[in-house]
Amino acid sequence: MLKFEDRSVELRLGETVLEALERAGIDAPSSCRSGNCQTCLHRAVEGVPPPESQVGLTEGQKALGFFLPCVCLPASPLTITRPDDVGARRDAVIRAIEPLAPDVIRLRVDADDFAYRPGQFLELVADGDLRRHYSLASHPEDDPFLEMHIRLYENGRMSRRLGEFKPGDRLHVAGPSGTCFYEGVHEEQRLLLIGAGTGLAPLYGVLRDALKRGHLGPIRLYHGARSRDGLYLDEELKALSRTRAHVDYRPCLLDPNAPAGGDVAATALHAEQNVKDSAIFLCGGENLVKRLKRDFFMRGASMKDIRSDAFTPQG
Amino acid sequence: MSNLYERLGGENAVNAAVELFYRKVLADGRIARFFDGVDMDQQIAKQKSFLTMAFGGPNNYTGADMRNAHKRLVAKGLNDSHVDAVIENLNYTLRDLGVPEKEVKEVAAIANSVRDDVLNR
Repeated sequence: MLKFEDRSVELRLGETVLEALERAGIDAPSSCRSGNCQTCLHRAVEGVPPPESQVGLTEGQKALGFFLPCVCLPASPLTITRPDDVGARRDAVIRAIEPLAPDVIRLRVDADDFAYRPGQFLELVADGDLRRHYSLASHPEDDPFLEMHIRLYENGRMSRRLGEFKPGDRLHVAGPSGTCFYEGVHEEQRLLLIGAGTGLAPLYGVLRDALKRGHLGPIRLYHGARSRDGLYLDEELKALSRTRAHVDYRPCLLDPNAPAGGDVAATALHAEQNVKDSAIFLCGGENLVKRLKRDFFMRGASMKDIRSDAFTPQG
Repeated sequence: MSNLYERLGGENAVNAAVELFYRKVLADGRIARFFDGVDMDQQIAKQKSFLTMAFGGPNNYTGADMRNAHKRLVAKGLNDSHVDAVIENLNYTLRDLGVPEKEVKEVAAIANSVRDDVLNR
């Protein structure tokens, strides 16, 4: 039995999910039709896709039910959606909203039955069309709330709206999305977390998840900021690295006079020459993420070991 | 005699080759600029699809996707010399992996057979 969203799709004997979608008139892009190019990627939200339909996907994608319809002959019932479908909006109530730095706030909201992995992001909906993506720094097993670190922009619509919110106010959340979380990492593998600004939020979530799951390998976390205020978890992370011998926190203040640019990317690229066997997480602006992803790949890191989340500032 | 894809080692051979090949392409000053701004994760999947086809593996190659994917690049000046460079990098990749010369030539011939689709001719 096959369902696309809430619609039943007839699946004939020996037919792939892609063929069934096409026959049902559902717009499903495809290209190689042999399980390689990933153009037809979809996600199973109910049921388990057969392993051969997940070959070549990242461990994070597999854990979330992503699969390739062109090579999927389901052995059991599946309900599937498009890969970017975030599902229905859910009610959320603000529990706390407070400053972490002059231009960063910590927002905690309560939402029932919101399952996620630390490091994923959600869509926060303030009013009708006012919505933004924010990464989750909280841990579902430890925190009864969803925590986001939000950069405020002068004249940003969401920034202004957030300034008016107070505890008890209602909004909506949808998701989660993203595959930047602790999955497919060996417990003894070296973990390299690099982020700038509020890119720390997902990395903080990943770090907590790694520790909770008993990660044994060395963990190094770089956090870049333009000013000392921007190193908004400095004290907490310094305390953590004092009590956990395998956690190494490296705050990086922007140094405009440094020869190689002086930002966190330059600092990390200089220090991290051997990344071949590291599990890498990159979070921050698009330039930072693209530069580090490319350079670490060229230095021998495998693409499956590089997880990233590029932020687009929207205010 | 088994077919080319089996002789090369099938899917494992593609997996071993794909990142090596992509690194060589990105490091090649003649063609690197055509990869500026592309999503690297998506690109790896496309390269895997291309290598599977070039290795004689299971594929449903029609040419239409190859044409569409390169239209923008042809407009930016993509020509025969760039296709030559890609095939050269493919040859080096296979030699690095210890593939015998006979198979290297067979793969190059299949890769070369899609030249007109790539260049939208």
